[in-house]
Amino acid sequence: MGIGPSTKETSLHHFRDPLLDVVSQDTDVDLMGIVIVGTPDDNVDKMLVGTRTAVWAEAMRADGVIISSDGWGNSDVDFTNTCEQLGTRGIAVTGLNFSGTVAQFVVTNNYLDGIIDINKSADGTETNVVGENNVVELDCKKALALLKLKMRKMEQDR
Amino acid sequence: MADQVKDLRRLVIKAFHMTDVEWGDHNDITTDGHMTVSKEMLDQLVEQEKDYIEKIDIQIIKPGDHDRWTNTIMDIIPISTKVLGKIGEGITHTVTGVYVILTGVDTVGKQCHEFGSSEGNLKEQLVLNRAGTPGDDDYIISFDVTLKEGMGQERPGPTAAHRACDEFIQTYRDKMKKFKGEKCTERHEYHDIVRPGKKRVLIVKQVAGQGAMYDTHLFAKEPSGVEGGRSIIDMGNMPILVTPNEYRDGIIRSMQ
Repeated sequence: MGIGPSTKETSLHHFRDPLLDVVSQDTDVDLMGIVIVGTPDDNVDKMLVGTRTAVWAEAMRADGVIISSDGWGNSDVDFTNTCEQLGTRGIAVTGLNFSGTVAQFVVTNNYLDGIIDINKSADGTETNVVGENNVVELDCKKALALLKLKMRKMEQDR
Repeated sequence: MADQVKDLRRLVIKAFHMTDVEWGDHNDITTDGHMTVSKEMLDQLVEQEKDYIEKIDIQIIKPGDHDRWTNTIMDIIPISTKVLGKIGEGITHTVTGVYVILTGVDTVGKQCHEFGSSEGNLKEQLVLNRAGTPGDDDYIISFDVTLKEGMGQERPGPTAAHRACDEFIQTYRDKMKKFKGEKCTERHEYHDIVRPGKKRVLIVKQVAGQGAMYDTHLFAKEPSGVEGGRSIIDMGNMPILVTPNEYRDGIIRSMQ
């Protein structure tokens, strides 16, 4: 499994990405940059690239990370591991991922409570309709609002 | 007192709106909103990619005229070009009102997609008005590639289709580089900003990197381009850091 037509992000999507628009326009946060990380085939490689991503975030002294994935199925292994690697380093994490009714996480951990389901289809499935289950502005606003809450809570708990 | 910020760099994206797209003797685009499309270079593109590509066809799809067959949609691509500076800074020209859709199938009818495919009636297979899809009033240039048998499932096949499509788009980019900036219909200015003292946030985009039509390219010469790009697979799928302006200037080409 991998990317389905209804979740895939086209080149045009990256050019006009609502997630970047929402985060960069919020003057309450200091957007440091965007990490692009691939989705390898091999399980050992999946763990490796996610861990390297978390090390980057830690070294940059990130308070919070919003992670998005334009695929579902086995790419959830990468996604959930990266969330865990970030979480265990004390970095707040929220994210955007397709779940619907067919794609609940194939693996879970304690750092997935801030993940927004980007499903838009009526029955919660991969519809093979291009654009249908894409991330939209409202999803991104939710993910950022949740991240701000989490970052504040983590600061208070320290 | 306003918060102190540090401005790292500026990117200006100037958009030129296209109001009509028609067949013509040559590919052409002008600041008065007129675009012509020709099939004259298709034979040459097929010849260049003859190991992988059997045939290429182009269609001009008018706004709303979506009751028609489409092969699976491999990508939707904005037509943009650098005019000054490199991706992420300087000036970019882009067009609104028309987008390119790359579709692919092989000679025996196998659709070029890895995990679910979107072939069928276009009006049922595409949700309009998303960030990554055309709007109600947009033209679509359909760049439909027929790959050699089985080549839709091997990594070089889809890559060749993207490369041919990119070369087609480049003919418009070369003309857009000479557009007078003041004739633009929209002007957007973006800054990479440091906000000292604010919560430090990183965006992580997990992208395709498993092979064939499940690949992502970065660092092409042109925005949302192919030439000069590097595959995330070839970079070991390792995390790559880009600036907000690089990202919004089209540093990613989605190769799924």
